[in-house]
Amino acid sequence: MTNYIIALFLGVFFGLSLNKAGLTKYNKIVNVFRLTDLAVLKFMMTALVVSMIGLYALRGLGVITFPNVPATYIAGNLIGGLIFGVGMALTGY
Amino acid sequence: MKWLITQIRKEEWSPYIAGILLGVMGVLAVALSDNLLGASGAFENLAGLIGKAIAPKIFNTLYFNFVMPPGITWGVVLLIGVFFGGMLGAWSSGTFKLRWNDDLQWKRVFGPQIWKRAMIAFVGAIILEYGAGIAGGCTSGLAISGGMLLAPAAFIFIAGMFVSGIATALITYGRRY
Repeated sequence: MTNYIIALFLGVFFGLSLNKAGLTKYNKIVNVFRLTDLAVLKFMMTALVVSMIGLYALRGLGVITFPNVPATYIAGNLIGGLIFGVGMALTGY
Repeated sequence: MKWLITQIRKEEWSPYIAGILLGVMGVLAVALSDNLLGASGAFENLAGLIGKAIAPKIFNTLYFNFVMPPGITWGVVLLIGVFFGGMLGAWSSGTFKLRWNDDLQWKRVFGPQIWKRAMIAFVGAIILEYGAGIAGGCTSGLAISGGMLLAPAAFIFIAGMFVSGIATALITYGRRY
């Protein structure tokens, strides 16, 4: 149960950050592919760097252990990514 | 304090600030409940749940039994939170409104028809979710959550996503690109 409350709590802030970064707007998403507005990329990379540092620091201190790392299967990841990009550029979600 | 409130109520934050917020949430997800943030997986859990109720034979596959078991998972609850979080964001900036198709750029390029927007969004979303299913995650579940654990999968996925995203935008926008 606590786990679900944590999920709900994190989800709210997840949604809030997406909304405030403008990722809920069609033009933001599609313009990153037109290379005219790189907000999506800035947002993603900032999140990536912050959590990377946080996670590796906490693991170094022995506070946390990593959950299952998403599996790498090059063909699947690449083909999936290629299909995903088409959908993303079409819908803008 | 007043300054902070005006900053929070802004419709659009600096993507760096919003990114930091998401990054902290990504760390907390691992630290508090040993889970990764993600969105697309939850749809598959729900699809499995509905599919097994309606057509159990068709959904009795390896994928829906083991890869993405149906049920109200952590990710589904997270997604409910995302929905309300997005709402909270829109409400706090005073832009909360039900809308069908009011994106100026879309209207300029594809016209104001609502059915067109809905149809392309529907088809595009199917493509998107299918791609996420093959790759093992979406922008949040694989690119960000995988990337922060330095999983090679995430970076392969990001590369693929941008290649085809740019190509698709080139094709659909044509000379307006």
